[in-house]
Amino acid sequence: MLCTMKPHTAPEDLIPQIASGERTALAQLFEAESGRLLAVAQRILRRRDLAEEVIQEVFLAVWRNAASFDRTKGTARGWLTVMTRNRALNLLRDGARMDYKDGETLAELGDRTADVRAAFDALSARDALRHCLEALDASKREAVLLCYVTGLNHGEAAATMRVPLGTIKSWVRRGVVALQECLA
Amino acid sequence: MTPQDREHIGEYVLGLLDGSEAQDFEARLASEPELAAAVAKLRAQLQSLDDTAGELPVDPALWQRIAARLDVPGDEQVQPAPLRPANDNRWTRRLGMAASILVALAVGYLTGTNLTTSRQPVMIAVLLTEDGSEPGAIVEAFADDTIRLVPLDLTARPADRVYQVWTLPDPETGPVSMGIFDDPATLSLSGPDLPPPEPGQLYEITLEPSGGSPTGRPTGPILVKGFAKSPL
Repeated sequence: MLCTMKPHTAPEDLIPQIASGERTALAQLFEAESGRLLAVAQRILRRRDLAEEVIQEVFLAVWRNAASFDRTKGTARGWLTVMTRNRALNLLRDGARMDYKDGETLAELGDRTADVRAAFDALSARDALRHCLEALDASKREAVLLCYVTGLNHGEAAATMRVPLGTIKSWVRRGVVALQECLA
Repeated sequence: MTPQDREHIGEYVLGLLDGSEAQDFEARLASEPELAAAVAKLRAQLQSLDDTAGELPVDPALWQRIAARLDVPGDEQVQPAPLRPANDNRWTRRLGMAASILVALAVGYLTGTNLTTSRQPVMIAVLLTEDGSEPGAIVEAFADDTIRLVPLDLTARPADRVYQVWTLPDPETGPVSMGIFDDPATLSLSGPDLPPPEPGQLYEITLEPSGGSPTGRPTGPILVKGFAKSPL
């Protein structure tokens, strides 16, 4: 099914077809978007099995709720990204599901700081977001990116950056406000 | 847009607001288009960070697993959709509590029901008071968008307020009204056309002005709430 070559259709045009029950439209959307969404989920969850579970839930939700997509409120890519991020964060916050066999804590699992730097370095030099992130103090930038890119909560970000919880909270708050003002 | 709004927008988009904060903020999003637009804008601007994750090769078996489940409504393996707040464990705790109360209540309750009706609910939710200690109502949700509500213990309403029942099919849809009532007695309510109720779906009752919430979203205090489970 996935090998069928079809002319490229924009996700915005596939979603109404999915809402009317066309499976081939869902398959096309999966083919176009699943690789990207899997990468987003895996960067947050660090486990392939859980990331695949998220993708499965996202496409089942798209199948059932395609009619609720409102293209006046944003792009289909953005809609899919938010659904994927929310489900990945749900799993991440659900400690029971993250039972790593050797008892590592999440913060110990690989270097989240390195993931964050790689994400920042991969932003295009012409991206206004990159420019505005560069304008932040390094500590605020890292705090915001740890939470957004790798899905850490305040406590985990504080542990990663080895600063008190209150410091992280204030860095994130001031960071997101400055970012929005710069991007306005 | 106050600086505090900007903080909330940022923390919400980063998934950092805790349970009640996130709920309050989502209620505002439903009634303040300017705020909702600011959230959408920030999300769109941060999309390029998500794109730095690149693309991973996808195992074709993943599509097969999805395709196999397309015809199964209310599939139990589907996780509840609402974003679980970053620092809030109350939900998990309450869900556990709801589950144990559910077992105690539902066993006897369903047995009785079976004698009088052949209709089977697809989901049952025990709605607990805000402190999670007392069951306040039972919701039986049927496949045809109706619910049967059995109030057990609801705070008395002021004369100018009504009870309004809500459910949250998924965060993208937001809270949906299932109906209003002013006399706490067993009753049937018929909601709008929604996907079949799923395990983990939130149901709650709020106090709203006469005639129901003016915004179409919950505005008043939450009296009781709980998550759906499928009967055994």
